Amino acid sequence: MIPVTVLTGFLGAGKTTLLNRILTEQHGRKLAVIENEFGEVGVDHQLVISGDEELFEMNNGCICCSVRGDLIRILGRLLKRKDKLDGVLIETTGLANPAPVAQTFFSDDEIRSAFRLDAIVTVVDAKHVVHHLDADDESVKQIAFADVILLNKTDLVAPAELDRLEERIRRINAVAKVHRTQNCALPLDRVLDVGGFNLDRAVELDPGFLETEYPFEWAGAYPLPAGIHEIVVGHDEGHEHHDHGHDHHHHHHGNENELDLAILPVNSLEETELVRARDRAVALFATDENRVKEGSVVKPGPGRHRLLLHEGRGRFKLEVPKSGHCVVFEECGEVPLHIHVGGEIVKPDWQQDFHAAHEHNDDVTSVGIQQAGDLDGKRLNEWIGGLLRTKGGDIYRMKGVLSVKGSDKRMVFQGVHMLFDARFDRPWGAEPRKNTLVLIGKNLDRNELTEAFQSCLV
Amino acid sequence: MQLTKHWAAQLDDYVIDLAWSPDGGDLAAASAAGPIRLLAAGDGAALHDLPGHDGGTNAIAWKAGSRLLASGGQDGAVKLWDGASGQHTATAKLGGGWVEHLAWGTNALAAASGRKLFLVNPDGAIRHAFPDAPKTVTALAWRKVPEPPLLAAAFFGGVRLIDPGDFSMRKELPYGNGIQTLVWAPDGRWLVSGNQDPSVHLWIPDEDAELQMSGYEGKVKHLAFDHTSRWLATAGGHDACIWDCSGAGPEGRTPAMLPHESPVSGLAFQGSHGLLASAASDGTVMLWSIERKQPLRATVKMPHAPTRLAWSPDDRQLAIGSEKGVVYVLKCEG
Repeated sequence: MIPVTVLTGFLGAGKTTLLNRILTEQHGRKLAVIENEFGEVGVDHQLVISGDEELFEMNNGCICCSVRGDLIRILGRLLKRKDKLDGVLIETTGLANPAPVAQTFFSDDEIRSAFRLDAIVTVVDAKHVVHHLDADDESVKQIAFADVILLNKTDLVAPAELDRLEERIRRINAVAKVHRTQNCALPLDRVLDVGGFNLDRAVELDPGFLETEYPFEWAGAYPLPAGIHEIVVGHDEGHEHHDHGHDHHHHHHGNENELDLAILPVNSLEETELVRARDRAVALFATDENRVKEGSVVKPGPGRHRLLLHEGRGRFKLEVPKSGHCVVFEECGEVPLHIHVGGEIVKPDWQQDFHAAHEHNDDVTSVGIQQAGDLDGKRLNEWIGGLLRTKGGDIYRMKGVLSVKGSDKRMVFQGVHMLFDARFDRPWGAEPRKNTLVLIGKNLDRNELTEAFQSCLV
Repeated sequence: MQLTKHWAAQLDDYVIDLAWSPDGGDLAAASAAGPIRLLAAGDGAALHDLPGHDGGTNAIAWKAGSRLLASGGQDGAVKLWDGASGQHTATAKLGGGWVEHLAWGTNALAAASGRKLFLVNPDGAIRHAFPDAPKTVTALAWRKVPEPPLLAAAFFGGVRLIDPGDFSMRKELPYGNGIQTLVWAPDGRWLVSGNQDPSVHLWIPDEDAELQMSGYEGKVKHLAFDHTSRWLATAGGHDACIWDCSGAGPEGRTPAMLPHESPVSGLAFQGSHGLLASAASDGTVMLWSIERKQPLRATVKMPHAPTRLAWSPDDRQLAIGSEKGVVYVLKCEG
């Protein structure tokens, strides 16, 4: 099987630099390059072919059912050689959606039997990508589809900004390998033969990525005497911006004149007590909100309170029946919130940031599921079949290594939109049997997916 | 029935196309790397070496009743060669796209480069450039009877039927998928496409009738009609599947399945006799008589995977191109 590397990334990110680097350093190998029609590979290379990104759109132009007609043609022609190629590099234009490229390798029988899609490598311009991520879907998709991401031009960006950018990229795609580069300089074994579609790699997950997501971003426990106090929302003159003590750098989402809260009394700051409050708060955030006008009273206990603000500010009454700690769960951790007792700000004795289900405006995220136990093959099949039928358009990529009852081999599978490929590979042997599944896509509901997956367990 | 080795010749690369000259005197063989060799039908001696195309040759075609050979290549050009002298006589530069499809009409060559379709005169002058097709042209086929001739050009999305006289489009036959290959029945009644989806689609353009036969294992890249226009051989996977196209066509009829142990890489019916040759990527070449109860007539195993099959004009020799660049010519006896 001939390995294929797909290079994506916006114009100017450095794709051509990487391509030229590969061709120069790998000159002993027979590599074919399929450039986009505006390609400008600078190396004199025998096998540079210009593609035209011609889409074959099946089913009324649905992108999940589209393949690249020019790739079928060109790759088919590349097979007509006496000597086998060592590899193929495909460069896409900046605006290309990677889905049809990947789908070509799943759907065409001839291509599928002769070529192996090794990895989708996305080159990101560290200086300009934030703008692209905010402005268009294609650059988000290029990150979501990637197996390897080069955060390039790092010399133009401050280290703290790079950290934030990498964190944002991780939120979209938690499984890609991210490398920071200048001029795309990196050892080529990081981009060639990386086995991105090889599922052994899929399980090397960032542990943080398996964290549960919460409907709130911040919680703080305030020591409050019985009585009527004040909740003050918004930037206050005379106070430094935001003294929750937690540093958020993202944008507020949703309506800036609404802030959802849950306020729960706790008996102590013991962990079990805080976990119980947290889980209750998750349930409360799933209930209908009660809308609270400025000046109105809020009480600790059941209820999801939606504070109605004016220009991002508001003052509300907090009626505490009994002295003790109250934990405030705040939907958006960026909005400054203070509790005033007798006119004085009370500082929380405990606070925590939560990995929110929807940070930024990026509705593309990764969901990782890790579960011990064996799966029922039939239920698993029905669930995945149904999921891809109904949500396939939103699921960009899916990879997994699964433990299916009745087989001593690992079931490995991977998919692009509606297309997927599952097979048993090697025996589990001494390795503990477990299930690891990663989905990258739009509007994914972690809890729903996790529950549905759990229901496939024997 | 016996297939015996007559001669073999070695090209520099994968044999991408084979074409017997109309008089049967020589076999043109094109290598994927570019060069085209004219081989003597009698012993395989190299008569002429034509340089072909930079970047690779894709297709070759002799003009009927002549010594004129056309070739199309990755340089976006059609080249014309005098087969008798081996001289390059003209070049028609069509555009940037590969020229992968060539088909001679009565006195003009249809050739496609990307979405562009042209009629080229035997002297290399472009007779007509048609408006761009909606997608890349993926197959060309002439209907020669009944008169006047008609050119079929396929692309993802359908087939256009073009009148070569006034260059007008007579009909557009929509098809919602990719088309790999086209063939007309010799009597001009059926037009058949082999498709990406994978299936075979049949039209009777004069009657506005169409049929779809699906269930193939992979995309259908090989189609061939026998000289009576009754039997249609198709392949998209391990078996060659034969449809009976008499009367209302194959719908509801059970096809004959001719099995191979690896994917079929070529199908060719004799020009005026009944034998079908089929080749598979494991090197097996088989001969079949469709109408017999035991249709398999002969089997040979080639040392290299076959890429092309071509019967000589007298139907006595079968030329087989291979991935490793060897051209084999077998005699068919008995």
